[in-house]
Amino acid sequence: MKTQALTADSFAAPAPAQAIQREGLPGDFAIWIFILAEMLAFGILFVVYAFARSHDVDLFDASQATLDRRAGAINTLVLITSSYFVMRAATAIRQGWSKACAGWLGGAFLLGGVFVTIKCVEYADKFAEGITLTTNTFYMFYLSLTFFHFMHVLMGMVILAFIIAKAWRGGYSSRDYVGVETGASFWHMVDLLWIILFPLVYVIR
Amino acid sequence: MHTQIQPNWFSTMIWLLLVALTLVTFSIGQSGPAGSGAMLAVLLIALVKGQMVANYFMGLRRVHIGWRILILAYFLIVGGLIALAYQLA
Repeated sequence: MKTQALTADSFAAPAPAQAIQREGLPGDFAIWIFILAEMLAFGILFVVYAFARSHDVDLFDASQATLDRRAGAINTLVLITSSYFVMRAATAIRQGWSKACAGWLGGAFLLGGVFVTIKCVEYADKFAEGITLTTNTFYMFYLSLTFFHFMHVLMGMVILAFIIAKAWRGGYSSRDYVGVETGASFWHMVDLLWIILFPLVYVIR
Repeated sequence: MHTQIQPNWFSTMIWLLLVALTLVTFSIGQSGPAGSGAMLAVLLIALVKGQMVANYFMGLRRVHIGWRILILAYFLIVGGLIALAYQLA
């Protein structure tokens, strides 16, 4: 009798676990280690910026006023929309739609190009005014933080380009889409970081 | 390998909300001198946007809750320290 009860228990046990079973992380696990490391690095820089500002609020506020907040906001909308496109690409490939996946990713890639262009115009304006990394503490942070992020956008675009090419050739399917999710996760991280970077550097004063 | 697929109308709604919240942040930035209230509002908006991107675009809603907590904790700690630095100024 006791044995029977034990047997019943041991069979019953996995059932609730199965009911709450969740998927693994989207994409390759290694990208998540990379994402966490990048977020940590940026997070430290964000906090260091905030404390540096607390030592010289007037300088930071006066320098921030020279930034093109409109360009920063447009770039936020650009990245958010590109993230949405990447999300739609991942949804498409889960349904086996390779060409649609490539199309959505292509849209995200183009928006990445828009972001880079707007940022270059902003940098050109600042350089034309004679502003460099050594002008003052604010510009040192503004230029280095946004350029560090800018490099991640470029890297994301390179990753997207490879995935677009493979998706267009039908290299992914509804059963094999880890590559798409890996690239998508990286791109979302780039968006996630800008979501903090924009208010921190362009808005808060 | 996969369970449910998030409906497209839902993803589109999340995107529109993200756009709306970005415009709110921008308008706070445009509205003259800011203060602690504006700073907190902007950080709170960033937190909400971050959660929306992580949970619904990255798809963390579907994975182990620990990952969602990690991203939430990141925004709380980084945002909290930014707010603290602002108050110390």
